[in-house]
Amino acid sequence: MTRVLGIELRRSTAIGAALILLAVGVALLYLFDEGDWSTGWMQLAMTQRLYLGLLWPLALAAGAWQGRREHQAKVTELFASTARPRSHRTVPTMLALAVAVAGAYLLMTVAGGVSLLGTAHYLPPQALTVVAVGLLSLVAAAWIGLAAGRALPWLVTAPALAVAGLGLLLTIPGATRPRGWLALVFSPIYEMNMPDAYTTVPGRISAAQAIWLGALAVTGMLLFASRGWRSRVTALLAVTVGVILAVTVMPHRNRQVVDSVDPVAKALVCAADEPRVCVSRVHQGLLPDVVPQAREALTVLTRLPGAPTRVNEDNSTYLSDVPAPRSPDVALVRIRTGRTADLTAQIVVAAFERPYDCDNGPDFEDSLAAGFWLIGEPPVHEDPDTTAGARLRWQQLRALPAAQAKAEVAAIRQSALTCR
Amino acid sequence: MRWLTLYLRSRRAPMALAVAAGCAGLMWSLWAIFSKDRQVAPQMVVLTVLLLVSILTLTLSSPDYALDRTAALSWPPRRAAHLLAALLIVVGSLVLTRYTAAHFGPASVLLRDAAGLLGLTALGASLLTPARSWFLPLGWTLIAVLFPRTETVADQLLTWQSQAPDNRPAVLLALLLALAGLVTYALAGPSRRATADLPA
Repeated sequence: MTRVLGIELRRSTAIGAALILLAVGVALLYLFDEGDWSTGWMQLAMTQRLYLGLLWPLALAAGAWQGRREHQAKVTELFASTARPRSHRTVPTMLALAVAVAGAYLLMTVAGGVSLLGTAHYLPPQALTVVAVGLLSLVAAAWIGLAAGRALPWLVTAPALAVAGLGLLLTIPGATRPRGWLALVFSPIYEMNMPDAYTTVPGRISAAQAIWLGALAVTGMLLFASRGWRSRVTALLAVTVGVILAVTVMPHRNRQVVDSVDPVAKALVCAADEPRVCVSRVHQGLLPDVVPQAREALTVLTRLPGAPTRVNEDNSTYLSDVPAPRSPDVALVRIRTGRTADLTAQIVVAAFERPYDCDNGPDFEDSLAAGFWLIGEPPVHEDPDTTAGARLRWQQLRALPAAQAKAEVAAIRQSALTCR
Repeated sequence: MRWLTLYLRSRRAPMALAVAAGCAGLMWSLWAIFSKDRQVAPQMVVLTVLLLVSILTLTLSSPDYALDRTAALSWPPRRAAHLLAALLIVVGSLVLTRYTAAHFGPASVLLRDAAGLLGLTALGASLLTPARSWFLPLGWTLIAVLFPRTETVADQLLTWQSQAPDNRPAVLLALLLALAGLVTYALAGPSRRATADLPA
């Protein structure tokens, strides 16, 4: 069996299909920024699932291309006349293709993971499940393709099947509206775009998807590997049972992945010594980068009366509205992977910012001016209008005598804290 | 006329035309039934063009390439005519939908994508084999349909199939591919590695 499998791996489309899938997948990861997956493993796994939108139709085409081999070589009748079960001949082909597409998907994960090694320390078990469901979806696509290529052994089948597969993935969300949970059952790419730092895919959702994709894979396997009406009836049964089970297991709520929050990823992890600097577990790998800047910011802030003595990451989530806990002795700061170059100024300014759910505190321009007055540099912000307004305010502060300016800055901080 | 009939039959053209008509009809009816808008979505237009091009270019495969080459016929004009006829069929059939319940358009996009993809497929037929000629057009177009990019010129070239009708880089690249494919295929013919393939 291993020898036959080795021959199949070398002599079928397996290697070619794997190389194409891998090349396309890695190119998508590194050339297209549809999903920002620099944060961690979960984001990488979900972005890979999004790119299945392209890989899934290609796996269908690879299967269909392989499925017409016997017809193409004109050996269908010859093989049918040998006194051995059809499955002896077909199982190695199917295994070879499955190993190839699964290997390509895993190598794509590895290729993405190489650039995460330094910063991503948090590997949730759900990320592995998300990758496993992606693998299963590719295997199911390849086997369904094999069955289609065997049933319709024409050259047209493969490209037509790929276009049909993509069309299906693009239309599932619209066709199931307003029941988004149905789309989540049948489409491996639905709601996988734009994962934020604390997103997760709950286990039950992955389970429902795995049931459906497993049923699809079994159907493709039965239709390709055996002959006769019994296997066709069994295949039909498998797909029906799969649909019923998957729809039962999937919770009937919409926006389940978009609204999900991983509490472990969100929990704060602190650096060892004082003053305390804490970031969420997802960003734990950034601590060496964050800590010196945070402590420098705290040193700048000591000139304020009642200055903050700790820095926490602002781990508020908005879709399930949970604001980060606030207190006068903590400066909160938003942290995003890849944007940790100028945290010092951000933390100082954050000490003067009103919470986002407060309408009365100081304007953002005042907060900017106050923060940069403490630092002793002209304010900078990505928005030029805000920068201009803040600079005006900053020059007014600079024109005042030192004691008076300090009192004004302290007043801005007080107003931000009390939201008045 | 007899030669033309024989040629078309040897290339399974009637079959390919029937399948192409079926696929185009299927796409048309899907849009006509399920959408309230007469104007077909750009992604669907690009996918339909891709489908028709991949079906029609399978007629480039011959039952016996070696025998074709020994024939004392001037192949280049015939090959070019074959490609141009395919272009005419794809664009013509989709332009005709203008006055129906599902309008595939605009015509400039149809022409650009059909010509560019046909050229790319013809290049594939010369460099790989006619049976494998749809590999690159399919992969490239699926990327362009799923993740269209418009920021830089490189982005526009990378996803030229789904750019706006007036996008100059996309048109130029499509023209380049069309000419390269036409010239290469007409002069060199299908790849010499092509073995007789059942084209159906």
